[in-house]
Amino acid sequence: MLASFGAELLKIRKRPATWILALVWFILIVLFGYLFTYSFAANPPDRPEDQPPQVQQQEEAFNEQILNGLLPENLLENLFANGVFSLGAAIVLILGAMAAGSEYSWGTMKTSLTQRPGRLGMLSGKALALALFIVLFVLLGLAAGAMSSYTVALLEDASINWPPLEELAKAAGVGVLTFGAWGFLGFALGMLFRGTALAIGLGLAWALAVENTIALLPIESDWWESFRRLTLGENTSSVGSIFGSPNPSFSIPETLVEPERAAITLGLYVAVFAVVSLVLLLRRDVT
Amino acid sequence: MAATVRQEPQEKERGTPLVVETRGLTKRYGRIAAVESLDLTVRRGEVYGFLGPNGAGKTTTLRMLLGLIRPTSGDARVLGEKPGSPAGLGKVGALVESPAFYPYLSGQDNLRVMARYSGVRSPRIAEVLERVELSGRAKDKFRKYSLGMKQRLGVAAALLKDPDLLVLDEPTNGLDPKGMADMRDLIRRLGKGDRTVLLSSHLLGEVEQICDRVGVISKGSLVAEGSVAELRGKQGLLVRAEPTEEAAQIAEKLVGVEEVAELGGALRLTTDPERAAEINAKLVSAGLRVSELRPAGQSLEEAFLELTGGETV
Repeated sequence: MLASFGAELLKIRKRPATWILALVWFILIVLFGYLFTYSFAANPPDRPEDQPPQVQQQEEAFNEQILNGLLPENLLENLFANGVFSLGAAIVLILGAMAAGSEYSWGTMKTSLTQRPGRLGMLSGKALALALFIVLFVLLGLAAGAMSSYTVALLEDASINWPPLEELAKAAGVGVLTFGAWGFLGFALGMLFRGTALAIGLGLAWALAVENTIALLPIESDWWESFRRLTLGENTSSVGSIFGSPNPSFSIPETLVEPERAAITLGLYVAVFAVVSLVLLLRRDVT
Repeated sequence: MAATVRQEPQEKERGTPLVVETRGLTKRYGRIAAVESLDLTVRRGEVYGFLGPNGAGKTTTLRMLLGLIRPTSGDARVLGEKPGSPAGLGKVGALVESPAFYPYLSGQDNLRVMARYSGVRSPRIAEVLERVELSGRAKDKFRKYSLGMKQRLGVAAALLKDPDLLVLDEPTNGLDPKGMADMRDLIRRLGKGDRTVLLSSHLLGEVEQICDRVGVISKGSLVAEGSVAELRGKQGLLVRAEPTEEAAQIAEKLVGVEEVAELGGALRLTTDPERAAEINAKLVSAGLRVSELRPAGQSLEEAFLELTGGETV
């Protein structure tokens, strides 16, 4: 397994698409997590001259709250509760689908398997390498957020207070669980469809369209609620909600699942997707 | 199912260990049998040609031997191990169908990936690149390689483990004549010594030039197995003499002529071609006019067409 892990690391590390995804992820954090919000709050639209002073004060206070939410002390609240981190779900889904599906698209599965690793060893190596890169993407997201919030603090001449180490560690855990579930969903889809196109297409359609539609459908019934409790999106939102809102004016929408249970569910999803991938690889012919 | 024409092994071959052995190996896709009850034996140190028309089941067989696909029934042993087992694959190098590698990696990095999978030390990479004459282009991306270079990289990957058994599936496919000649030369060199080469091909000339022994597969079944000479069948002489009927009567009485058959106005004598002068003298002394007398061995192509029922390659 370690030999396969080494081979997989070399492949994923040298693949340009991996670093393009990392760059996109970094840009998403900077743009949607900080730049757009900061531009709005730091440069508010011109006020009408006859605006009552009370309204003016309220607006200024609101903008100040938004700017405070971008400071290092609110790093985790901004990244997780605002949904910025969940943007990365689509990125790691693509990463996972590529790790598995490309082997079929290029026909390299047969080349690799005839070298001796064994199907179990090969899949274990792949899963480990993907897991390592998922951790790196989580750390990259946190680093991009930290860098952006530090820049905001410098621009606003605000004091720099980082979240406690314990909270940072918790954030890393939440990030790994979230990205793990989505990344291994992509991995299992890549194995299932023996290619990247369908795996990425269907995975993104599920992540971006179906999950949101499920969350918004006004169906009031127990079975629907039970189903929603199982969806990746609901559980992702739930674990992200533990850090609270960066802005006192906004409260986080209530989630159906308790964060602890959501964490367990996401962990189970990682295991299930890995096992499904293994069964698919073990049972099917490589043509 | 067609009966298999199997030549008995020579005395010296009988004790040679079997590297590949299949018994009743079958692969079905629904109602279609891609490979049907295949009994194949490849001996240590030989270059074995696995010959058959396109779609005959050659690649399916090789994939089963490498553990990439599972047989529907039957049994196979490769170097004494179950196909696809890491222990067996550790001594097998393979190039199945087209060479498939990671397009964004260089040839050298592709081999580094393969070396890590197989637990081979890095210095071996330079050796195999040198062997297939790719050292100068080792750092180029695989996607920039020509087809010939891709094939050579495939052979290099197959050689990484310094395998006891080399499985090559249509290694000259798509190559230009120079590339084909180079590849055949390489295979001949690789097949020297104790290494066994299992070469699948639909090119008769290729098999004739390279292989010690040949198995012919048609519609999923092995229809013949033996050396090229054995498959060509018995040698003989083609005689054109007038009158033909009288010539046939004389020929039948000659010692050493096993069979006389009429063939388009000529006679085909199953006999040692070295006896041409003696037979010519007999016919002339009997007052017959001999207009043609030449060796008439069956070509591998004729034998192949006969064995496969006229299937084209």
